[in-house]
Amino acid sequence: MSTIELKGVSKEFRISRDKRVMALSAMDLSIREGEFVALLGPSGCGKSTILHLVAGLDEPSTGAVFVDGLPPAQLQAKQQLGIAFQEHALLPWRTVEGNLELPFQIAGREPDRKQIADLIELVGLKGFETARPSQLSGGMRQRVSIARALCLSPKLLLLDEPFGALDAVTRRFMNLELQRIWQEKQITTILVTHTVEEAIFLADRVIRELRVPFARPRSVETMRREEFHHLVDDLTLCLEP
Amino acid sequence: MRENGSRYGGLERTLYQVCGFVLLLALWQIAGKSGIGGKTLPALTDVLRVYGVSWRRALLLRAAVATTTSAGLGLLLGATLGCITAITAKRIPALAPGLDRLAVVVNALPAIALGPVLIITAGRQATPALLAAIPVFFLIYVAGSSGLSSADGRLEQYFKASGASWWKRFVYLDSISALPALLNGMKLAVTTAMIGAVVGEWFGAPTGLGIVILNTMQNFQIPLMWAAVIVVAGISLTGYGVLGIVERAVQRRMA
Repeated sequence: MSTIELKGVSKEFRISRDKRVMALSAMDLSIREGEFVALLGPSGCGKSTILHLVAGLDEPSTGAVFVDGLPPAQLQAKQQLGIAFQEHALLPWRTVEGNLELPFQIAGREPDRKQIADLIELVGLKGFETARPSQLSGGMRQRVSIARALCLSPKLLLLDEPFGALDAVTRRFMNLELQRIWQEKQITTILVTHTVEEAIFLADRVIRELRVPFARPRSVETMRREEFHHLVDDLTLCLEP
Repeated sequence: MRENGSRYGGLERTLYQVCGFVLLLALWQIAGKSGIGGKTLPALTDVLRVYGVSWRRALLLRAAVATTTSAGLGLLLGATLGCITAITAKRIPALAPGLDRLAVVVNALPAIALGPVLIITAGRQATPALLAAIPVFFLIYVAGSSGLSSADGRLEQYFKASGASWWKRFVYLDSISALPALLNGMKLAVTTAMIGAVVGEWFGAPTGLGIVILNTMQNFQIPLMWAAVIVVAGISLTGYGVLGIVERAVQRRMA
């Protein structure tokens, strides 16, 4: 298990020679061991950036990220990071079983047959061991993706909108499934989502990222914009008891 | 599974292709018989008669084996060097621009100019294979380079977050992602290897279809010359077809 600390982290992206976009500014965040935290916010507000920084896929522009007091790259190198993306990111030429062998192979270990079989059962894909991703439904692929993230018994589980591409019914079902799986493992988890229900259903703590996208100076015109009203509605919902 | 409609469409297309091919052969026959194309364009039936004569058949077979061997060796050599160079450029990105330029320069060398040089340095026996290897090297280098960077972005992120070494990533992701592009390159390389081998033989190889074409041209044995040309085209197209089938099978496996 692990604790995560973000100290004054900001991240800037250069989109052209003289245009920069601030995805995060002076963000502080601390996640306890075994805690399930959901990062909630509309798309493009920097939620995934936080995840990428914790996963060591990106470097912060300022500030620092620590996982168990160490930079994320070290956790990465020790293969103690489980990660699942919105797009399943499975190897299309491998079977379900083959895809679950991959983390072991990357780590240079002998694939643990029993653990793989257990995980396939845990995510409810018994009988589909030899199916390839193209033969599975979207929900099943995400199960494989989550099973793969759990393969090496990681200390930290990062879920980047894992059910974002699924329809509402499948998504609700997958939320129940993820809760069942998580209760068995209780790994420190960060879930990035833009669905309020999902965040509240799964997490111990929901962190809401809201960046106001309007340039200054703002005028009465700003207040008339549709985007403005969406944001107001969003925040008002949070305040409701 | 393809739908019935598109399978019918495929059948229709094949039918058109066969019709076009038959029409072309018929035109050839007519042009040859009527003498429109002059004495150097024999009728198709006269060319086909060459294959009926046993000593000529034996000659063509011997020549075909020699040329195919040269083309095959050239293909192997060029593809191996092309792959190694593409992997090197991927492994050491700083070298990539230089290797790109080198590949372009190698490809820009005209075979006609290079032939005599190779005859002197590498010998008559090896020249056809070497001239076949040069364009193959270029094609496979280009196909391999683009194939090696064609891996899915999400998968790349997964490998990075999983702490995969360069080598592990290459073995489990990049090399396999490169296969469709590589096979596509190989498909084109087969035909260029045949051309390279035939041209290489012109500079004085002991045997081969290129030699048969050259000798028959000079001795005005026109039907035999055409028969040899058809064998060259047949071997090229067979190689192209076989690799096309392999390519499609791989694509289906990777979808």
